[in-house]
Amino acid sequence: MSLYDSLMAGLSLVGNWEALLSLAIGIVIGVVGGAIPGISATMAVALALPFTFPMEPINGILLLLGVYKGGIFGGSIPAILIKTPGTPASSATILDGHPLAARGEAGRALGMALWASCTADFVSNLALIFFAGFLASFALSFGPPEFFALILFSLTIIAGVSGESLLRGALSALLGLLLATIGLDLVYGTNRFTFGDPNLMGGLNFIAVLIGLFAIPEVINMVWHPTGHVGKVQKLGSKWVTFAEYRRSFRSIIRGSFIGVFLGSIPGIGAAPAAFLSYSEARRKSPNKANFGKGEIEGVAASEAGNNGVAGATLIPLLALGVPGDVITAIIIGAFMVHGLQPGPMMFVLNVDIIYGLFIGLILSSGILFVVGGLAIRGFRPVADIPKRILMPMVLVLCIYGVFAVNNNIFDVGVMFVMGWVGFAMGRLHVPPAPFLIAFILGPLLEDNFRQSMLMSGGSPDILLRGPITWFFWGLTVIAVVAIARGTMRARRAGA
Amino acid sequence: MQLRLGLGAILAAVFLVTYAIPNWVSSPSNVRNIVLSPLFWPYILGGLTGVVGLGLAFAGWREAGGEAVNEAIPDPQAGAVRLVAFAVLMALTFWVMPVLGMVWTSMLAFVALAFLVKTRHPAAAVICAVVVPLILYAFFAHVASVAIPQGDLVRLP
Repeated sequence: MSLYDSLMAGLSLVGNWEALLSLAIGIVIGVVGGAIPGISATMAVALALPFTFPMEPINGILLLLGVYKGGIFGGSIPAILIKTPGTPASSATILDGHPLAARGEAGRALGMALWASCTADFVSNLALIFFAGFLASFALSFGPPEFFALILFSLTIIAGVSGESLLRGALSALLGLLLATIGLDLVYGTNRFTFGDPNLMGGLNFIAVLIGLFAIPEVINMVWHPTGHVGKVQKLGSKWVTFAEYRRSFRSIIRGSFIGVFLGSIPGIGAAPAAFLSYSEARRKSPNKANFGKGEIEGVAASEAGNNGVAGATLIPLLALGVPGDVITAIIIGAFMVHGLQPGPMMFVLNVDIIYGLFIGLILSSGILFVVGGLAIRGFRPVADIPKRILMPMVLVLCIYGVFAVNNNIFDVGVMFVMGWVGFAMGRLHVPPAPFLIAFILGPLLEDNFRQSMLMSGGSPDILLRGPITWFFWGLTVIAVVAIARGTMRARRAGA
Repeated sequence: MQLRLGLGAILAAVFLVTYAIPNWVSSPSNVRNIVLSPLFWPYILGGLTGVVGLGLAFAGWREAGGEAVNEAIPDPQAGAVRLVAFAVLMALTFWVMPVLGMVWTSMLAFVALAFLVKTRHPAAAVICAVVVPLILYAFFAHVASVAIPQGDLVRLP
């Protein structure tokens, strides 16, 4: 199929009001979810997921991508207004955004956050369109040993989402890998930890696990400390960002966008480091260096460009290799699976219309985000005023319906409740849940490709190093492990 | 906390390797190669859990006192009682759902949770408790064609 045919096939999927409406609704949900501290973009995507099941695959996925992109921008609203990032990615925005809000210029900071976010989002989407296809065509020559090496490398992303302790992240990942072994064995069909219960033979439901792990602990935290969320919202102020300020920050925005694209295309780095790196580079190069951290508008632009530059680029490994780039894309992979789609190189052959449909939808999403974001900045206060002690019971009920709807099975609701307590305990013990989820997704793929490789070679491990592609990924894994070890040692020395 | 977490992981690994995997993972007797056995992967993971547990215990022992602590709450005892009550609420929701139906159970769970966290807007909570499950029912049952459990008592259209 030629590029023109692929584009037309994609356009036929998204060139209708249902697709555009799905995208717009997704962005609205994302902006609102990201703007409410405690909901976060991750939770918003997880909660929206079950509503996409009855939709057309392209519309459902566009809705989730809208939630993702809206959520990343939405996180900057509370970061600027109440010094509480709605998502971890917005942490860097606090540095200059909140001082601006404190002197009554929140509207100016939010306006710049929106302009920078949309610009970076557009750059990131272009990067996805240009690089994903190339990477996918390369990945078509992969066999089980190559995929095993790739997934093993992808597991090093756990270091990027482990937070304060790598060992705790590793423990979380091992728990995820262990829970992924529940069900019938992939090769022999024998029982593993099923206790003879037919509900467990297909393994734990992915949606129940992820909603249990990310949404329910928030409800339990509210039960534990019902008044822990109390905070004050600043006024927007009458001053608005000007085009001259946007032009002055343009270089930082573009630099931040490329930093976001580069880091986002590597699985596991995530938006928060991109935002901080973009911020520090902008500070290093800016003539207003001394003003950074005290309310510099260019600082807001740089951090928002960094985190939004990641949003499209994290889809590069997802679409091209079937490997989630971060937690949110790990959830979005669930939407592909529910609709019978398997992200990866074969999708560029079998479902090229959906791929190009997504590309077109993503390009449109930057414009829709600009409109929705502008409205959200003005309309945020009433949304944020929903009492959290009414919001959380709503979340609980939403979770119950959403998880049940996946398989029409009440057992899944029980799994979600149990995983909620697991997530709460992990939170209390400072064990990050993100490595658990990533390992839970990648675990079966890792084992499956390992055992297929062993079957191919008659049990000889030599096959795992059979060619340049495996050498490349093994090399990357070694480099990543060495970098992680060096980083950990340096952090320990700095803390000592 | 890290030391206890490490010791917990070691105990879990010992339990996995000595009891859980031999008893709860079955493998055909004619497997030619150990790496192809259904037992291989769980044993590897069990072993790695022990290694990570050792690492955590060692790190906790070396860095005693320098760990992150959880945010203190005004009345931890009342917090613990609320947690137990919420666990009971979850268990009741799970067991009662097939009998009462998802809509009625969700309404009761909503109200119970709102009052458990001492909402300052009881009237709004009750209204939302009725409206939200009904809207979700309408969406899932009539738009998404999901067979929402109706229960044995009152059935919705």
